[in-house]
Amino acid sequence: MNVDQLADSLRRDPMFMENVVRWEELPARPAQYAPFPEGLDPRLVPVLQRRGVHQLYSHQAHAVREVLAGRDVVVVTPTASGKTMCYNLPVLSAILNNEDARALYLFPTKALSADQVSELYELIEEMGVDIKTYTYDGDTPGAARRAVRQAGHIVVTNPDMLHSGILPHHTKWVKLFENLKYIVIDEIHTYRGVFGSNLANVLRRLMRLCAFYGSHPQFILCSATIANPKELAETLTGRDVTLIDDNGAPMGRRHFVFYNPPVINRQLGIRKGVIPETRQIAGMLLKNGIQTITFARSRLTVEVLTKYLKDLMRDPLGNAGRVRGYRGGYLPTQRREIERGLRAGQIDAVVSTNALELGIDIGALDACVLCGYPGTIASAWQQAGRAGRRKGTSIVFFVASSAAIDQYIVSHPDYFLRQSPENALLNPDNLYILLSHFKCAAYELPFEDGDGFGNAPAPEELLGFLEEENILRHVDGRYHWMAEDFPASEISLRSAASENFVIIDITDPAHHRVIGEMDRYTVPMLLHENAIYMHEGQQYQVEKLDFDACKAFIRQVDTGYYTDANLNVSLSLLDVEKSEDTPEGGSCALGEVKVTTLVTMFKKIRFDTHETLGFGHVRLPETDMHTTAMWWTLPDSLCARFESDTLKNGMLAITNLLRIVAPLYLMCAPQDVAVLYQVKSPITDRPTVILYDNCPGGVGLAHKAYGMQKLLLEKALQIVTDCACTQGCPSCAGPVGEIGTDGKQTAMTLLKELIR
Amino acid sequence: MNLRDKLRAVDGGSKRHQQPQRQYTSCWQRRETRPMEDFPRVLEVRGETVMLMQGEEMPEDFDPRRILYLDTETTGFAGAGTVAFLVGVGSFAEDGFTVRQYLMRDYPEERFLLRALEEELAQFDVICSFNGRSFDVPLLRDRFLMNRMNPDCLDKPHIDLLHMARRVWKLRLKQCSLGRLEEAVLGIAREGDIPGAQVPQRFFDYLKTGQFDLLRDVIDHNAQDIASLCVLLSRMARMYEHPEEALHTEDVYAMGVALDRMRHPEEARRCYRLAMGGSLRTQSQLRLAVSYRRGGDRRQAKEIWQAMAMRREGGATPYIELAKHYEHVEKDIPAALEMTRRAMMLLSEPTLFDSTAVQEERNAVQYRYDRLKSRLKEQ
Repeated sequence: MNVDQLADSLRRDPMFMENVVRWEELPARPAQYAPFPEGLDPRLVPVLQRRGVHQLYSHQAHAVREVLAGRDVVVVTPTASGKTMCYNLPVLSAILNNEDARALYLFPTKALSADQVSELYELIEEMGVDIKTYTYDGDTPGAARRAVRQAGHIVVTNPDMLHSGILPHHTKWVKLFENLKYIVIDEIHTYRGVFGSNLANVLRRLMRLCAFYGSHPQFILCSATIANPKELAETLTGRDVTLIDDNGAPMGRRHFVFYNPPVINRQLGIRKGVIPETRQIAGMLLKNGIQTITFARSRLTVEVLTKYLKDLMRDPLGNAGRVRGYRGGYLPTQRREIERGLRAGQIDAVVSTNALELGIDIGALDACVLCGYPGTIASAWQQAGRAGRRKGTSIVFFVASSAAIDQYIVSHPDYFLRQSPENALLNPDNLYILLSHFKCAAYELPFEDGDGFGNAPAPEELLGFLEEENILRHVDGRYHWMAEDFPASEISLRSAASENFVIIDITDPAHHRVIGEMDRYTVPMLLHENAIYMHEGQQYQVEKLDFDACKAFIRQVDTGYYTDANLNVSLSLLDVEKSEDTPEGGSCALGEVKVTTLVTMFKKIRFDTHETLGFGHVRLPETDMHTTAMWWTLPDSLCARFESDTLKNGMLAITNLLRIVAPLYLMCAPQDVAVLYQVKSPITDRPTVILYDNCPGGVGLAHKAYGMQKLLLEKALQIVTDCACTQGCPSCAGPVGEIGTDGKQTAMTLLKELIR
Repeated sequence: MNLRDKLRAVDGGSKRHQQPQRQYTSCWQRRETRPMEDFPRVLEVRGETVMLMQGEEMPEDFDPRRILYLDTETTGFAGAGTVAFLVGVGSFAEDGFTVRQYLMRDYPEERFLLRALEEELAQFDVICSFNGRSFDVPLLRDRFLMNRMNPDCLDKPHIDLLHMARRVWKLRLKQCSLGRLEEAVLGIAREGDIPGAQVPQRFFDYLKTGQFDLLRDVIDHNAQDIASLCVLLSRMARMYEHPEEALHTEDVYAMGVALDRMRHPEEARRCYRLAMGGSLRTQSQLRLAVSYRRGGDRRQAKEIWQAMAMRREGGATPYIELAKHYEHVEKDIPAALEMTRRAMMLLSEPTLFDSTAVQEERNAVQYRYDRLKSRLKEQ
C-alpha cells in the first residue's frame, strides 16, 4: 500500500479512528521558482545546471539577492528546502571573485558541519577551482591546524571552538580576520537560552576583532521555523537583519494525525502506553513498505522501539537490518552509514532521538511517528518535516503519552496547528554571561576609553569592576589584561554554570571511563551519593561524589529501584524591578531573587509499582543561584475563603498547571523555568506562586512571563476546566494523591479570581 | 554581595583612577658588559658546526659576532592577552659580551620596547634562544601585530638551543631546562634565583605597587639566561667539534644519534667509536654497524657484528644481524641458518618474567629459522 491507500483504509477503520482526535490534511504546495540573481559569479551557474539546478526556488534567489546587495539576512526554511544554497552561492561567488575572501561557517554540532562540508566539496570539485574548505574543531589534527589558519577560504567550526580556540589566538588567524566577508550561522533556532546568550557574546567578540583587523563581514543566518527568527537573528548579531521566509520549495500533500491512546482507567486518568501504541503504528507502516522515521524522547525508548521493530522484520534474509536506531552515543562512522542507508532507501525504518531533527541530510521519508511530544512546537515541526517528499503524499502521526504536556497538545490540536512555534529567547546581557565574555574580550584586545561591547549596556561599569578586581589595568586610555588566567577556559557555552562535573564509570577498576558530564546545578539532584543514575539504559550507582574536584564516580548495578532526591528550595528577594496590582489587593511582580537549593534526602522507588522502598540521607553543600523571577501574591480576601490545607492543595495544583503552560507560551524547554509556591513567602509575607529562570542570571523567561502573566493564568484555567477528570489527574492539576480531593476545584476558583 | 551590587558600588572606574596623565616616551633600559674572560672560545663557533647541530642552513658569512641572543619574560602562556614585558638581548662588542634589556614599566611603553627590539634585530643575522622558536618569537610576533607594527624583523635564521640540547643531554640528564643545563653542563650555580613560575605575578605586583625593586630579581634572572645561552651554544659547538674532549660517553653517544638523524654519518661514527669506551658500549657498536650498513659498507658492519659475537656482547642481536647479512648480502643460506640457530640458543629457556618484547623477538627468530630451513630444502 502507498501512503494514500493507507490513509484511506485507516480512515475507514473505526477501531483506529476512535483514538484519532484530529486528522488534518495539509494541501500540496507547488514550487515557486526564480531565475539566478544577477551578480553571481558566471562560473557558478553552469556548474549548478550540470547538477540539474536550472533555476532557484524563490526564497533562495531572494536570499542571494539580499546578500549580494550587502544586507545581513536570516533565512527561515522548513526541512529539505535547499537552504545551504542560500549561503553557499554568495560565499563561493565572493571567493571566485577575490581569492583572498574568507568565510566562517558555524554549526551547532560537529556531525552537522561534516555533513554540510561534504556538499560544499562537491560543488567546489565540480567547478575545478582551488577553494579550500577546512573543518576546524577539536578533532582537527595539530599538524593540519596551521594550514587551516593560513589557507582556509572557508573555515567550518562550532561556537565552542570559535570561543576557546580561535578568538583568544586571533593573531594566528590574521588572514581570516582581515578578509572575512561572510559569517554563516546555521540552525540558529538552537541558540536559545544560555547557549544563545553565550553565542551572542562570542559574536560581539568576533566583531570587535574584525573591526581591529579592518573587515566588515556580513551575516547569513538560517533558522528552522520559530516565532521570532528576525528578533533572534538581531539579538544574536546586534544588527538589523532582513527576514527571508518566502519558502518556494514544493511540498506534497501531508496528513497529520493526532492519536491519543485509549483510556484504561478513567478515574485515575491512565491511558495505554505510548510505546506499545507507537510500536503498533510504526509496525503497520513498516509492514506496508512505507519508509518511516520514528522519533522518541529518550535514548532508552529509541533502543526499545528499535528492538520491537527489528523483531517484527526478523527473517532469515536479514531484513531486521532494514530497521535501525540512531542516537547520540553511536560512533560517527555508524551514523554516516545509517544516513547513507536512509538516502539510498536501503533502510525502511529508523528510530531516533532528536539527533536527527537537525539538518543532517537523510533525504525525505514517507512517514513520521512522534512517540510523545518533543517539548516544543518548533521541534515537533522539525521532526514532522522529516516526512514529506516534494511530490507525493506523506503522513505524520503524533502519538500522545500520558504526560501533561502531551495531553494538552492532543486535546488542543489547534494550539499546535495554528499557534506559531515558540519564541527563541536569549539574553546576551545576562550579567554573569556578559561579564565572562567581557573578560575574554579584554584579554583578546584591550578596551579603550569609550569603547563599547556590541550593544551591551554600561561597558564602563564592567571595566571599572574588572579594574577594581585587578584583572584589568587602566592606563593611558586603555584597559590592559593584567592576569595570568586564560579567561576563555572558564566558560562553557552550553550551560551558564562554568564547571561541569564529569561522570566516571569505575566498574572496571583497570579502566575508568568518563561517560558523561552534568552541570553543577543538576548534580545534587541526580548524582548525590547512592543515587541510581541511568545512562543508555544501564543503571549505575553513585559511589562517591567529589564536590570540590567536580567528579562523580559511579559503578554499574542492577537494582529494582530508582532514586528521587528531595530538593528543598528557598528563595530570598534581592530586588523588585516592577510590580502591578491585581484585583482584590493581590499583586504580580518581577525582580531578582536568590534561589538556594539543598538536597537533604532521597527516596528509593521500585520500578513498575512506584512504591517507596526507603529513604537515604544526602550531605551536600547548599547551592546558590541569583536569577530573575516573577511572582503572583494572592489577595488576602481570597485566601481567607479557604482552610489552610485546601489553599495549599490549590496552590500546588496551580504550580503543576503553570509548569505545563509556561514552557508552551514562553517557548522554552520545560527545565528552563521553575515554578513553586510558598504559603508564607519570605518575599511577600503572603501566599505566593513564583516562576523563575532556571539558570544563573536568567535569560529573560521571567520577564516574558511577567508580560503575559494573565495569559498564563488563563491558559492554566483552560486546561484544568477542559480536562475530563473529576478531581485532578496527571494531565492537568496533578493526581489526587498529590493535590488532595479539593486541589483541582480550589485551583479553578483561585485562577478565576486572579484573572477576573 | 552579589555581582550586581558590586557593579553598582563601582562608580565609573575610568573616572575614579584619574592619575596624572603621564607622557610615555621610552621604555626602561639597562646595558651591562660582561668581560670577555667569562666567555672562553665563544667566538670560535663555526657556521658549519651549527648546521651540524641544527640540521639547517646558516648564512654563508656566519659570524658569532652577528648572533643576537634573545630571551623574554612574559605575563603567561601564549594567547592574545599575554605580553612580553621584558626583552633581553645579548651580543659581542669590542670590550666583551653586552646584555641590553628593555622593560615596559607600564603597558603604554610596550611599543617602545618593540621598537627597540626591532632596531636590535636589524643589526644581526641570526637569533639564538632557548625554546624561542615555539614560544618567544611567536609571542613577540603577536605583540607586533597587536601594536599594529610589522613583525617581519623576527624572520631570521634561528638557533633554538632547547631542541639541540635535548638531543645531546636528555639521555643523561632526563630534564633539559636551561637552569638544569647551567648546573650540570656549564657548572654555573645560581643563588636566590626567582622561579620562572613566579615571574608573571612579580610583574603584576610591581604594576600594582609601583615598587621597581620587585623586578630586580626578574631582570637579573633574564640577564643570566642570556649569558648562559651564549656559553651553552659555544660549549655545545665545541662538543660537536671535539667529541673526544667530552666527559660523559652518554653525551657522545646521544650526539652520534643526533648526527645520524641529521644525515652526517661520518661524524656520527666518530661519536659511536668514542662512546664504545663507556657504559653504552653495546649500543654504540650496534649503531655503528647499522650506520656502516646504511652507508653501503657491508664489510665493516659484518666485522663489528662478528667481533661482538665473539666477545658475547649484545646478546642475540649480532647473530640476528649476521643472519640477515648472510641471507641477503652473501646469499649464504647455511651460514644464515647457523647464525639464527645461535640466536635461538641465546634466546631459549623462556622464563615467566619475559617481557613481551623478548617473546616477540623469540617468535621472530623462530619464524626466521623456519623460513631459512625451508629455503634450504628448496635449494
